[in-house]
Amino acid sequence: MEAALQRPRRVRTPYLLLLPGGAWLLVFYLVPTITMLSVSLQEGSLERGFQLTWHWQTFTDVVGNYSPQFIRSIEYGLIVTALCLLVGYPLAYAIAFRGGRWKNALLFLVILPFFVSFVIRTLSWKFILADEGFVLGPLKHAGIVSSGFRFLATPGAVIGGLAYNFLPFMVLPLYVSLEKLDKSLLEAAEDLYSSKFTSFRKVTLPLSMPGIFAGSLLTFIPVVGDFVNASLLGGVNTTMIGNVIQREFLVNNAYPVAAALSFVLMIGMLVGITVYAKILGTEELTG
Amino acid sequence: MSENRSHNPLNPALSRRELLSLAGRGVASLGVMSFLAACGVKGSSQPKVKGLQVLPAKAGQLVIAQWPLYIDQDDKTKKRPSIEKFTQATGIKVTYKEVIEDNESFFGTVRETLARGEPTGWDLYVITDWLVAKQIRLGYLETLHLDRLPNFTANAGAVFQNPSYDPGNLHSVPWQGGITGIAYNPKLTGREITSFDDLFDPKFKGKVGMFTEMRDTVNLALIGQGVDPLKATIDDVKSVQQRLLKQKKDGIVRAYYGNEYTDALAKGDIWVTIAWSGDIFQLQDSSPDLKFIVPKEGGVLWVDNLVIPKGAAHPTDAHEYMNFVYRPDIAALITAGVHYIAPVPATSDIIRQTAATAKTKNERDALMRVASSPLVYPTQDMESRLHHYKVLDEAEEKAWNDLFQKVIT
Repeated sequence: MEAALQRPRRVRTPYLLLLPGGAWLLVFYLVPTITMLSVSLQEGSLERGFQLTWHWQTFTDVVGNYSPQFIRSIEYGLIVTALCLLVGYPLAYAIAFRGGRWKNALLFLVILPFFVSFVIRTLSWKFILADEGFVLGPLKHAGIVSSGFRFLATPGAVIGGLAYNFLPFMVLPLYVSLEKLDKSLLEAAEDLYSSKFTSFRKVTLPLSMPGIFAGSLLTFIPVVGDFVNASLLGGVNTTMIGNVIQREFLVNNAYPVAAALSFVLMIGMLVGITVYAKILGTEELTG
Repeated sequence: MSENRSHNPLNPALSRRELLSLAGRGVASLGVMSFLAACGVKGSSQPKVKGLQVLPAKAGQLVIAQWPLYIDQDDKTKKRPSIEKFTQATGIKVTYKEVIEDNESFFGTVRETLARGEPTGWDLYVITDWLVAKQIRLGYLETLHLDRLPNFTANAGAVFQNPSYDPGNLHSVPWQGGITGIAYNPKLTGREITSFDDLFDPKFKGKVGMFTEMRDTVNLALIGQGVDPLKATIDDVKSVQQRLLKQKKDGIVRAYYGNEYTDALAKGDIWVTIAWSGDIFQLQDSSPDLKFIVPKEGGVLWVDNLVIPKGAAHPTDAHEYMNFVYRPDIAALITAGVHYIAPVPATSDIIRQTAATAKTKNERDALMRVASSPLVYPTQDMESRLHHYKVLDEAEEKAWNDLFQKVIT
């Protein structure tokens, strides 16, 4: 009798546990997504109001009009992710394997920039790298770079700013996967006469794949949608898709266009990431 | 924003108001039927203006919506001398709220109420010219009793009377204005700048700043091509677009800026740029080399205006205030406080007199700088070359935005 009463409760428990997360997703993800989809299919203006007319043409229009910015954003995203991996992996490796008792302090240093507002951090690069600022000014006087040289308002500045801002998102997951790596596996490899490089290639690298996977996603996704770096450090022909969306939403009040752009971006990213996950093998993530 | 603003003894906060104003104009995006159409010239729509309402008796109260820091204010006591004098002189108590962050979002807060024909709770608010034109067209503004505004008629500068966005000042009187023109650093350019064409000079490759703001850029560029914005056709805008695209392709533009162009100009990252007069007046405090000109082809005058929304509870008191701020001594207080283009030219002499009796040298210098600046009191030569924004209807606005978006992305 008692058991019969308890069973349904036990079946219910996992669902109950899912409730807060599910409600969160429903309210803060599903509802906005559906709203945005609906907005993207509307026509109108702030003055006349917007009506749902199932105007799918907006989607083809935005893809046609803004494909250069889409392509540029993805290009920047890939370059930045590669840069972050290149800088972040040795850093995470050093902290995890050679950090010793300084591990926590070093990790803290990685996160330290987050204590300063994102915008302020990016803005300060504008001061540091100003054409006649304290870096380029003396270099120009000394004749090391030409007087017309500039770093700001170039694609390099935007990519550099993005890599700087998103580096910690790469380092932290890498650190976690390297830190929990079982060191006895490396000893075993050495016992079997593996060289340092081979044991890195055959043991460390594969075992840190989940970190690389997570770090790359955490870097790539926000970078592609970023608009702050391009608007503060960029110039001509550095506009990213985030800048276009921001302007269409807030300046031109073209809500359907902006919503359609966001949707195309989201779908594009989901497809790309699915392919990426298939190639890299998701079982390594869950395992 | 640059630190020079904080030690301006007159009003450290001007830049903020400028910033907000610009943000507001940046957000400016609703379709606006041209005012001419609203007047029935094209016969496409009827004006909703029902003519003059009979004014009720003075209520002794007035509720004003304003932009932040857009009036004379004592830095220490936070009191507003011009408002206090108004209350002393008329017995009208003023509820003064700095609630307007930008045109578009403020309009959003009153739009529904006005559309239902209900009172908004405001007796007066301040909005930019293109929004004035739109609200006139929508029939949201009271018609003014100009016979109640003798100070305005007598004292307002010529460019502030009978503007194209509100012919005859039937619904609005200017609060303050500003100019969109060109600023440059003569030390870096090596020569004086006189023309809009200078923004296309290959010698300044990578050192030219342009705006992300559509209304200012396109109107100024139209004027630069010799086209009066009020008469501009879509083909004119397309030709402007081609010119701006070529300027970008040739690498002449360093970047398309919002308000931060002032930093780039002050640091020397850009040598010559589209600019707003109020910003350059502020910058000159720390960078006296900088110059601002109205190009020989012409520039844009934008104007923020006092208007009375339909259904205002105290329209008589509102008229009294509109008239009061055009008393030269009061207008002088406001101009000395905010440094925009003074709607009352006579204030220059009054500010000079105040400067003569100023207690400290700093105060005297600051006041003299206001009184003698062509950025506050444009010369007749400058004024003769000023145009207003073209008031755009919804389709035009979308078409202009789409063409311009191609330039800046």
